[in-house]
Amino acid sequence: MAFQILLNFSLALLWMFLGDNFTASGFIIGYLLGLAAVLLMRRFFNGRLYTERVWAFIKLTFLFLKELILANVAVLRVVLKPNLDMQPAFFKYDTTLTEEWEITLLSSLITLTPGTVVVHVSDDAKSLYIHAIDAKDVDETIDSIRNSFEKAILEVSRS
Amino acid sequence: MKANKLKTNDLILQFTAKIVFFIIFFFSIHIFFAGHYTPGGGFVGGLLTSSAIVLLVIAFDLKTVRKILPINYMYMTATGLILALATAAFPIFVGKPFFTHFFDYFDLPLFGKTSLHTAALFDLGVFLVVVGVTMTIIQTIGEDE
Repeated sequence: MAFQILLNFSLALLWMFLGDNFTASGFIIGYLLGLAAVLLMRRFFNGRLYTERVWAFIKLTFLFLKELILANVAVLRVVLKPNLDMQPAFFKYDTTLTEEWEITLLSSLITLTPGTVVVHVSDDAKSLYIHAIDAKDVDETIDSIRNSFEKAILEVSRS
Repeated sequence: MKANKLKTNDLILQFTAKIVFFIIFFFSIHIFFAGHYTPGGGFVGGLLTSSAIVLLVIAFDLKTVRKILPINYMYMTATGLILALATAAFPIFVGKPFFTHFFDYFDLPLFGKTSLHTAALFDLGVFLVVVGVTMTIIQTIGEDE
């Protein structure tokens, strides 16, 4: 991943030196040509192309924006209800993520989508304790997190 | 600080502090150099740098931060004072009044035509004194003994 980006940058610099064109446009043209070369030689790299990861990250961003709007509408519904029949709950969420940044990102995403707040990370960093404002069905909430955010983060971090 | 305090897992705070430290530090350098024409300068820059280090102290603890940044803040304060005094005293030796500042335009690589001013050196002295004093105070208060 990092090697591929470095290679792409080196090719862009090489293009600039070849053409004696030390401007931003020269760099961008060289970068695009380098990207084409990297795509052409994709069988030589072990692991995925870095463009796939960038694409996965963009998808994660849009997923987050979508979830943010949907969850805000859900909280609005809870707030404006005349009768308070919501069921707050604490529950434990076992995560499969291992890296520090993955867990931080997942926690931030869970906290930023309204209705759920991460209150604690367990000492072995294997599970998160989450408070939900309206968890009629805890298992359903857990599944929704697992299938949306955690899957998308794994998609980004998979080597 | 209670001795029987439970150790909690501050994973999110620590990871965020690691990243945010660099952002605050860069912003403090930007503020430091912006001081001549726009709001900013040595004092605010120094306080921002101290706040970045204090964030690390909050996220980890004093011992760890001292291991990461093995700086003697007393020496830092002294260096800043000497630098400020030397900048102010230098004109005496060339027959100008105390605290006369010099500036000129230089052609630097990458920067182009830049005005270099001795006031920036004085400001650097202020910066070092502020960081040194703030961190000395916080380390002295923060120690358990």
